[in-house]
Amino acid sequence: MTSTRTSQSMTDRSVNFQPAAPAVRAPSPYPPAGGGGTREAPSRRALARIPLLRTLRDGSGFDVVLVLCAVGYLLVFAAFPLAYTLVMSLQQVDMFSLASFDRPFAGLDNYRDVFSRPEALQILKNTVIFVVLSITFQLSIGFGLALFFQQPFPGATYIRGVFLAGWIMPALVVGAIWKWIFAGDFGVLNYLLTSLHLTGGKIFWLSDPDVALFAVIIANIWLGIPFNMILLSVGLAAIPRDLYEAAEIDGARAFRRFRHITLPLMRSTLGAVVALGIIFTLQQFDLIAALTQGGPANASNVAQYWSWQMSFQTYEISAGSVVAVLMIALVILVAALYVRSTEREHAA
Amino acid sequence: MSRTLRLLLGTAALLASTALARAEPVTLEVWTHDDEGEFTYVLAKEFQTQHPDITVNIKHVAFADVVNDAMRAYTTGSAPDVIGIDNPETAMFAARGVLLDLSPYVAQSQVIKLDAFYPGPRNSATWDGKLYGIPRASNTLALYYNADMFKAAGLDPDKPPQTWDQLYQAAKKLTDPAKNVYGLAFSAIATEEATFQLLPFVQSAGADYDSVGSDGAIRALEFWQKLLDEKLASPDTLIRGQHDSAGTFNTGSAAMVISGPWELPDMSKQAKFDWRVALFPVEKEGSPRASALGDFNNVIFKTSKHPKEAFMLLEYIYSQNHRNWNDFGLLPPVQDAKVDSPQWPKAYAVFTEQMQYARPRGPNPDWPKISKAIQTAIQSALTHQSDAKTALQTAQATIDRVLKK
Amino acid sequence: MRTAKPFILLGLALVFAAIYLFPLYWMYVTALKSSTEIFRFPPSFWPSDPQWQFGRIFAEHAMDRYLWNSLLIAVGTTALATLVGTGAAYALSRHRNAWTAVALFLVLMLQVLPPSLMVTPIFVAFNQVGLLETPRAAVVLAQTAKVLPLYIVLCRSTFLQVPRELEDAARVDGASRIGAFLRIMIPLARNGILVVSVLIFLQSFGEYVYSRSLIAAETLQTATVGLSSFMGPNTNDWGGIMTYAAIYVTPILVVFALLQRRIVSGLTAGALK
Repeated sequence: MTSTRTSQSMTDRSVNFQPAAPAVRAPSPYPPAGGGGTREAPSRRALARIPLLRTLRDGSGFDVVLVLCAVGYLLVFAAFPLAYTLVMSLQQVDMFSLASFDRPFAGLDNYRDVFSRPEALQILKNTVIFVVLSITFQLSIGFGLALFFQQPFPGATYIRGVFLAGWIMPALVVGAIWKWIFAGDFGVLNYLLTSLHLTGGKIFWLSDPDVALFAVIIANIWLGIPFNMILLSVGLAAIPRDLYEAAEIDGARAFRRFRHITLPLMRSTLGAVVALGIIFTLQQFDLIAALTQGGPANASNVAQYWSWQMSFQTYEISAGSVVAVLMIALVILVAALYVRSTEREHAA
Repeated sequence: MSRTLRLLLGTAALLASTALARAEPVTLEVWTHDDEGEFTYVLAKEFQTQHPDITVNIKHVAFADVVNDAMRAYTTGSAPDVIGIDNPETAMFAARGVLLDLSPYVAQSQVIKLDAFYPGPRNSATWDGKLYGIPRASNTLALYYNADMFKAAGLDPDKPPQTWDQLYQAAKKLTDPAKNVYGLAFSAIATEEATFQLLPFVQSAGADYDSVGSDGAIRALEFWQKLLDEKLASPDTLIRGQHDSAGTFNTGSAAMVISGPWELPDMSKQAKFDWRVALFPVEKEGSPRASALGDFNNVIFKTSKHPKEAFMLLEYIYSQNHRNWNDFGLLPPVQDAKVDSPQWPKAYAVFTEQMQYARPRGPNPDWPKISKAIQTAIQSALTHQSDAKTALQTAQATIDRVLKK
Repeated sequence: MRTAKPFILLGLALVFAAIYLFPLYWMYVTALKSSTEIFRFPPSFWPSDPQWQFGRIFAEHAMDRYLWNSLLIAVGTTALATLVGTGAAYALSRHRNAWTAVALFLVLMLQVLPPSLMVTPIFVAFNQVGLLETPRAAVVLAQTAKVLPLYIVLCRSTFLQVPRELEDAARVDGASRIGAFLRIMIPLARNGILVVSVLIFLQSFGEYVYSRSLIAAETLQTATVGLSSFMGPNTNDWGGIMTYAAIYVTPILVVFALLQRRIVSGLTAGALK
């Protein structure tokens, strides 16, 4: 595949197609660099001789500072809660010993306790199903909608905006509404399904252990569509139109164009959206709290809700921390995979 | 200066300084889940007019966050003076030594009479022989029923079901799938609410929270199973809270509902039928009568710098509990409250009588764990993942471990 | 016919939108229903006795003050995240080596915990350093840590789509790294940056856990926390909740639905005309 970047056509990303323009070097908006004369792009060896301050402004020092600011900020505000949780999972924590670090050491006892609970296996299984199905459908529906709204038709860009509703509505409200939609006796979904004769009787979406998890997943997919759709729309809009034109002229059909142009160029966006989507899904809590509370009988319970139940309902804070640590491990895996996949983003 | 003048000035100064010393202002920090304009806010304002040297700062805390916020505040040294906590949580706080022992204060109090309390609320505030809280109000569970539906089904609305069997038979007659009506609505949701609703059945069968593996408790849970299996109550009972269940009653989708006095305002406005209240059914004739106990105890944290003034506030609240019902829609926690022309008089009479039999949950410092074991058993049995006996015996094992600690 | 297709697409778009927006419509309808009507079967698609509580709820619950606080926090978080994160996203997009891999990994990792688990250590720590005296600032700091990884990862993808040659060209013309960054890269990545900023603005506007725990004073509290005042120990005022939610959601949805139109499709003037 040719280089993903061409110096051509950083033209207007609007819906209307612009003809390809040959690369034209615009007159430089910059005054000549201080110090007189133009400079060559500094070579690596030259960099090594430039004093530190110069690298900050002009060299790799600049990048380092930028990254350190962000990572530093995160380390200050986000690292110690992680450490705190990890420490708590190894101690015996009671309600009122929260603020001190000086608590009896429990080693791996808490871990043994959590894993030997009968609900552990089911909850972990549910978590995997929850994440996999949520991401798959959020991504495909989001991507489908993004592609759909790229097409030129009147009002496309307006209508696309209303899909933000899922991202804006407070989680408490979303949970309550889906609970009423899914209600077995008086829910709208059952009403529509039975009126359209799509099902025989009423489905008890939330209280039937076989169905409950999927009901929660459906609500979660609804919740995740705006995030996927908007970001993929931006990514799609950044793809130069003339690439498609050229391919069409060459005789490629829609699907081939999608496979060979759209997907590769969207790779970094897709990777980011999937990785973040997985992490968000692992944090999704309010929906389960509102819909089923993990029931019936843990049929729709997932790791993050279980952790909350143990920390904040039965005040078994050590056990809750253990599950949190497990989720951290899972996210480490996802993050590592994502970072690995970014190796191939640098074609240059 | 003449001697007289000096004497007068001296006396004046002395009087002034003692007056100032006595009037040193005190600020109390009070946390409540009430909203502005409700119970605690109203009574605290009145208290402040009576005691101008005491200022009461009230902070609203959402009900679900009361314990966690209190814990967090206490561990960082910023706990309030007074907080209203749900009655089963009193033991949790007391056993960890964070509450002030109120027994000596009450012994000397001219206002609060320990014997006036119903046994339920008083026991809920007691731990290890000492009193740690003053119940501010109480609530309990009873049976609401739709008299119009009773008549239509050929049942006598003046003889509501009083035993489990009568309840079952009535529910069967009242259930009408064609009209989308269930005989009975209650709550078996995987939260404290399920335990709240099941325990009265368990207690009437002769058991309690510490003997859930016994035959009586098994019978209670099997009764619930029967109701759900025969579709006399909705399958969604497993994921619906008490308020939503009452909603289905108000709208005519259930003929009876087990709920408490908090529903009366909505019910009186929205239920367009002849609704009535009956005592919570007992297992068989002659079985012990029992019901649940809800609402809050006001407690004082040990770290309070003004325990005397805090207790004065609790005394004031206690002194006004005859206003609980008409002014705030809450049942008084005492048996001798003189309520003039109570609103919804018939319902009030039933609930007041029911309060005699209201039992606290626990009290136990690890009540949430006990409750969770019971909830798990309920969910497991009602979804037939296991039978009632196994489910409850598993719960019993967990509860035994908790009790042994 | 040539002209039919756009209208077919429009029709489809309206159908999709209608399906997706059904819960939103249900929110508005429930706001007007009495709390018993919610449980009625068959469900009513329009309330039989509409209760228009919007004015009352807005006034009684001091929504203007709450919404203002929410706005402050959202703006603060977005500003801070943009300030701290844009540069990092850029730098991480320019190089790929062991160091950037570690940095990117850390960035993703550090936001793994849901706010409900982060809040206790943050509360304890903030209390120690006195940050709780300025509670809204405390929330901004905590929430920024939550959204920063999102911002960095997504903006990095945006920067990746900007051709490197343009930056190099600017350098050759004599620009410093800072200059090239500020005057070339950011404007070119503007769409992506703006969209991500919008997303984190909206998410921070709806922040609940930190606001609830870190802000003690009622006057500084946010709108999402105000929502929880409708939930009592035994009853929930569903009509009130949905009315409040309707007041909260509608203006934001309208504003941002319009805003995204300009951003996603591309603001005019390409970089290299």
